[in-house]
Amino acid sequence: MPQRNVVEAPNPLREGLRIKQSPEPCIMVIFGATGDLTHRKLLPALYNLALEHPLPAGFSVVAFARRPYTDESFRQQALDSINEFSRQKPVNPQVWESFASGIYYLQSNFHDAAGYEKLNILLNKLDQERGTGGNRIFYLSTPPSQYPDIIQNLGTAGLSRNRKGWTRTIIEKPFGHDLTSARELNRQVGKVFREEQIYRIDHYLGKETVQNILVFRLANGIFEPVWNRRYVDNIQITVAENIGIEGRSAYYEESGAIRDMVQNHMLQLLTLVAMEPPIAFDANSVRDEKVKVLHALQPLMGREVLNNTIRAQYGSGWVGGHQVVGYMEEPGVSLESATETYVALKLFVDNWRWAGVPFYLRTGKHLPKRVTEIAIQFKSAPLMLFQRSEASGQLEQNVLTLRIQPDEGISLKFGAKVPGTDMQIRAVNMDFFYGSSFVREQPEAYERLLLDCMLGDSTLFTRRDEVEAQWTFVQGILDEWKNEPQSTIHTYESGTWGPQAADEFAWRNGYRWRRP
Amino acid sequence: MTNHTTNSPGIHLPWAGKLVQPADVEETLSYLWHMSADNVRTSQNIRVRTSVLNFVICAPNLESAQKASALLRDLSSTHIGRVTLLILDTDPGAASRVSTWVTLRSFPIISDVMRHHFEQITVLASGSAANSSAHIIQPFLKPDLPIYLWWLNDLPARLDTFQELVKLSSRVIIDSNSFYTPERSIKAISTFLQQSQESALSDLNWGRITPWRQLVAQFFDAPEFQHYLAGVYKIEVEHAVAPTQETDKVTSTNQTTALNPMRALLLAGWLKSTLNWKLEDSDGGAYEYDAQKGSYAWGLMRETGPLQAQSVITITELTNEIGRGGHGGIVIRPRVQSNLEPGSLCFIRLTSIVDDKQAVFTIDREDDAYHVLTSVDMPQDTRPPRTVSVAASQEASTLLHEELEILGRDYLYEDTLHAVVELLAD
Repeated sequence: MPQRNVVEAPNPLREGLRIKQSPEPCIMVIFGATGDLTHRKLLPALYNLALEHPLPAGFSVVAFARRPYTDESFRQQALDSINEFSRQKPVNPQVWESFASGIYYLQSNFHDAAGYEKLNILLNKLDQERGTGGNRIFYLSTPPSQYPDIIQNLGTAGLSRNRKGWTRTIIEKPFGHDLTSARELNRQVGKVFREEQIYRIDHYLGKETVQNILVFRLANGIFEPVWNRRYVDNIQITVAENIGIEGRSAYYEESGAIRDMVQNHMLQLLTLVAMEPPIAFDANSVRDEKVKVLHALQPLMGREVLNNTIRAQYGSGWVGGHQVVGYMEEPGVSLESATETYVALKLFVDNWRWAGVPFYLRTGKHLPKRVTEIAIQFKSAPLMLFQRSEASGQLEQNVLTLRIQPDEGISLKFGAKVPGTDMQIRAVNMDFFYGSSFVREQPEAYERLLLDCMLGDSTLFTRRDEVEAQWTFVQGILDEWKNEPQSTIHTYESGTWGPQAADEFAWRNGYRWRRP
Repeated sequence: MTNHTTNSPGIHLPWAGKLVQPADVEETLSYLWHMSADNVRTSQNIRVRTSVLNFVICAPNLESAQKASALLRDLSSTHIGRVTLLILDTDPGAASRVSTWVTLRSFPIISDVMRHHFEQITVLASGSAANSSAHIIQPFLKPDLPIYLWWLNDLPARLDTFQELVKLSSRVIIDSNSFYTPERSIKAISTFLQQSQESALSDLNWGRITPWRQLVAQFFDAPEFQHYLAGVYKIEVEHAVAPTQETDKVTSTNQTTALNPMRALLLAGWLKSTLNWKLEDSDGGAYEYDAQKGSYAWGLMRETGPLQAQSVITITELTNEIGRGGHGGIVIRPRVQSNLEPGSLCFIRLTSIVDDKQAVFTIDREDDAYHVLTSVDMPQDTRPPRTVSVAASQEASTLLHEELEILGRDYLYEDTLHAVVELLAD
């Protein structure tokens, strides 16, 4: 992956070590620390970093939330969460004791200025006691509606900058609800923090296999020459979930598949597949190229939206051996809901590399299985020598599949002769599984991303222009859908790969969805 | 004349699989793969076959070969495409003979549903055939894949066979922890490396001290401590000895074997090399080995001058308490610690003075075989210590996992090795 854009510490003892630099001692303030994300992801990730000791001595966590906890009771909650969700269980008592001694709880409402004064005093005290040198990360793990209050209060309390050390803020998705709100949020955050202090997180970018997309493309000589319109027929990106909305109707009704998946994760995957090689592997060079792809996306406006998108809601059905209800029967979902749980899109990247190559994207809930993959389907051989054979009908195009999750790996489909005296050709898969070639346990995405933020490396975070370019593309679709009657929302049976209309949508252009 | 035969009187290696003629190795393996494919069809499990590397293990006898073969179970889900287990029977009275066995090894990766298969060829080369073992195993190596050679035991007195195998290999792995005469073997390896510029060599013991190197380096990542690295003038390293070895170390004729200070020496060599220190010119007085205590002490200086401006080192002063007299160097001493494998590192302390301010960086295992305590002590500025998980002993398979991911030469290790030899020079 890209090299870090930070100045390497002048530490000759680091030569030859796998970890090139450990972060400076710092304090991570987590707003919304009693929430699900903190307990399922953030605390386990920080504990794992402590266990594998990239975390420096003195590293501290200040949990900032409304509920009435003490340091001790919050530490107990944190311990329970880590015991449940950490990839390294059970908790190591000695390491936990050392890590927990740096966890503090501060009870306050997010809009209460006095809470930020107390926070300021606590942070200064910890700087003295734990040697954190004024280095702070403010992690916004609250509902997005709280972001403006928190940001403004941090600014008013003078916490967005300090003379002793560095200050950074991590902002969770969703970053805005639409283009207008994303721009407004960027404006509000920008009033308090400089762009280089802002780390907009998309945890997909922390996944090893997502990072491997660039390595696969750019560290091997054989793929990049065929990675263009001359050889690629179409590209399909699938993010399928077998779960439903899991009781999160309040969130999902406002979000839908396009905001939940397409605007962020799927467009990130698309940019990594479609981008030009950057001039250097540093944060801005990589993100410059990703933004160019987003700008090159052919905008979908008016009728084009209806011709190039399919939206649908899941009906009842069977998933994983369990009967499930349809989206409209889910608790908390409006009877008039127009929220899509499935979306399929066809889009084009208008540049020299990709002109005319369709990118098919689809994502949905209650699909047959959980899978994320990128499939690059290549054009057929220019001359088919084997047309007369019985097997000619079985000849398939070469497909290179990058599997992001699960069973992370890469597979290449190609034709091979079936042993025998006749000329039968069958498609076979050549598979590479991460799990079988590299036994090293993969860190959780949040571990990598939190560590990168501590080190000041923003390569795997979304830049302001990037997030706005994503919303610009999606906004055209949202606007048109808003104007369309609800009848354009299809229904699909849970446990299937989406509505019939999505298949027809692909067939119209002579394509077929892959069965992942 | 070498007799290629499947007839190995008295030798039964059930763990090595089927005894075959060397010429039939590939055909037999191919047959075994077909059988395996049939099993997959009937049992519905997923067969994983990786093709990332050739792994050649060179064992001095059947017993160590069997141990190494058993250890492969723990490496099942790494990268191995094919293992060639070469047993050298160098007994001059043995008949010249080559015997080969083949098997497919199959181990579950995640659950029994997904199994990793790799090929294992066991080659027993006896008599004069042992001298040609590098040529004998060539046809058994999978093409286009790097070759990792794991050499068990000390280096032989005659290096011909070793050299031939090294030439064949992309990387050679040794384990100085298992050397019977570590100082002699380390010197031999250092000399060998200087003469064989193309060889990539690594040592499992080097992997054992990696967590300690990480922790030492981590002290100086923090900007406020970075400048203290230049002020380090004294380094103390302690390695574990079992209680009964206290008497051994006094009476033993082979001190280094009994005390096994290789990890401590490698750490000292690494720091000496990285900090660009050299032995003080004091007519042989810069190095002292105390056979009674089993401790080493070296007076050292920077290339540009003494470690401290006023430093005129004497070994006696160096081995005294930290920082006294402001003199510098490296001290290695044994520490009786019954719960640790002998040779394990248990204490590192770096003492530094910059602008008349002293900082002491300590990593101490105390009585815990799984954790160490790291701390930085400065006058009027005490920082919270940190408990860090560092297991005292690491399985050879764990260390091999790491080694099998590295290609090419490890110049840092080589520099460290040469530094150790320099420290041990008479």
